[in-house]
Amino acid sequence: MKSDRGALPLLIPGGFAFLAFFFLPLAGLLVESFRLYTPGSIGTSASAPFTLNNYAELLTSAFLEFFWETLRISLLASLAGLLFAFPLAYWITRRLSQRWRAITVGFFVTLMFLSVLVRTYALELTFGAAGSMHSALLFLGISPNGRGYIEFLVGAGLLHYIVPMATLTLLATIQNVDPRLVDAAQALGAPGWKAHLSITVPLCMRGLLAAFLFAFTFSISAFVIPMILGKGRVLFISNLVYTRFSEIADYPSGAAISIVLFVVAMTIVLVMSRQINKRWNA
Amino acid sequence: MSGRRLDDCLRLIGLTMIGTVICFLVVPIMVTTLMAFDARPYLGPLPPPALSLRWFSRFFSDDYFINGLGTSVELACLSVVLSLGCGVAIAVGLDRMSFAGREALTSLFLSPLIVPPVVTGFALLLFLAQMGVINGFARLLCGHIIITIPYTIRATLAGLAGIDRSLTEAALVLGARERSAFWEITFPLARTGIVSGAIFAFAVSMDDVSVSIMLTDAKTYTLPIALISSMRANFDLSIAAASVMLMLLTLALILILEKAVGLNRAIGQGVFR
Repeated sequence: MKSDRGALPLLIPGGFAFLAFFFLPLAGLLVESFRLYTPGSIGTSASAPFTLNNYAELLTSAFLEFFWETLRISLLASLAGLLFAFPLAYWITRRLSQRWRAITVGFFVTLMFLSVLVRTYALELTFGAAGSMHSALLFLGISPNGRGYIEFLVGAGLLHYIVPMATLTLLATIQNVDPRLVDAAQALGAPGWKAHLSITVPLCMRGLLAAFLFAFTFSISAFVIPMILGKGRVLFISNLVYTRFSEIADYPSGAAISIVLFVVAMTIVLVMSRQINKRWNA
Repeated sequence: MSGRRLDDCLRLIGLTMIGTVICFLVVPIMVTTLMAFDARPYLGPLPPPALSLRWFSRFFSDDYFINGLGTSVELACLSVVLSLGCGVAIAVGLDRMSFAGREALTSLFLSPLIVPPVVTGFALLLFLAQMGVINGFARLLCGHIIITIPYTIRATLAGLAGIDRSLTEAALVLGARERSAFWEITFPLARTGIVSGAIFAFAVSMDDVSVSIMLTDAKTYTLPIALISSMRANFDLSIAAASVMLMLLTLALILILEKAVGLNRAIGQGVFR
């Protein structure tokens, strides 16, 4: 049995930092989101009256459009990420030699650690309007400044992080699936795709859901990727918070958008991790 | 028979997909690296006709970038030290706890990982403005401590989890003080976890945009903020040069991680390899 002796004092310095720089600010954000916005003033005074306007404003179709866009692109990018990462992780685990596996894993860890700025700039430089693929795009009849292509580019930006992250998450999962199960199914006459679909995929479901959770929460709170690759045409919720602050200094509205984003992210994490734990830990 | 045929077909599709995905991940990085050495004074199509270091010297002669780089390094080092100090203490405290609140406290301390960083930054911006904190560096430091602390806590907890508690108990039975048992038994055994926490924290601090962008002022800004604003203004290749250097930094951090901890340990492994 562990002793609790001396445990609490250790939490005090860090706990103070959390309280001062995290929990109190979040509480302040909630309060600010109910303040009445007066144009022209920077921030609101403590005496500003309370209102629900900042939230009501978010129900207009222009705002709902931004929310829908964030969720749609995030969902598609996360699903595509899993679709690409699963075969990749399987291939790394089962088809590569020890040496090559170590090299590939190192490569993916490096890719995951790569600065988001480098990632975004590299994608813009390669696939963007001024990029090296410009003439190839025009040849294919794709306008690099079209909305569809910009949305695709933002999705590609998300994927550039999601694929390495999901692959690394799934490596351990696939390593835990006994390869003899698939061998047995195939020996008994099942074609490979059916064996994988009915054995490997269900056994990896927990890892897949965990990877999806990471990918989706990463995507909906993405900031730099839509800011650069979206070129102002595609804005995520995070970018909206920033423009409220930097362009029109409407702090209460920015706070209300932040609170909504916070609640969405938390709900997804809590609901999904509870489901995962309920199904696999029982 | 057709099942096997379908298998071959699917295997081919799978391998093509894997190849395409790897190209998608690698090609932009190679393009950026190549373009960083472009000798042309403008952004032209691939491939560059001649190579030079002009964009690197352009980067280093630009005060805007150098100022940001200085702030970033200073900020990252200070954040690592402070968040290691708080984070290791929190992790050791959590590790010693046995009551039911431990789980809840752990997820509370790790929660900055799931709160969208822009929300963290915006909340801190409002709060510090109300508290009258206007020094840019102090504001950035507060933000960076919060976003780096969960990494140091998580890595230290992982390092502590593998330690047999009876080692410390043996030391205590043999007459060691609680304090010296910690410094001579627990700390060295948890060292790899602490080192990987420090590396993660440094990388996170050097790379952050979403929190920092809310907390900078006209004179105090980090390198990523300088890069992102010049990326929006004009798309010139000194950012490619900066990208190459940031890639080298990433590579260096990964090599340190591999040497000090081992990548497999840092990311975890399964049974049937």
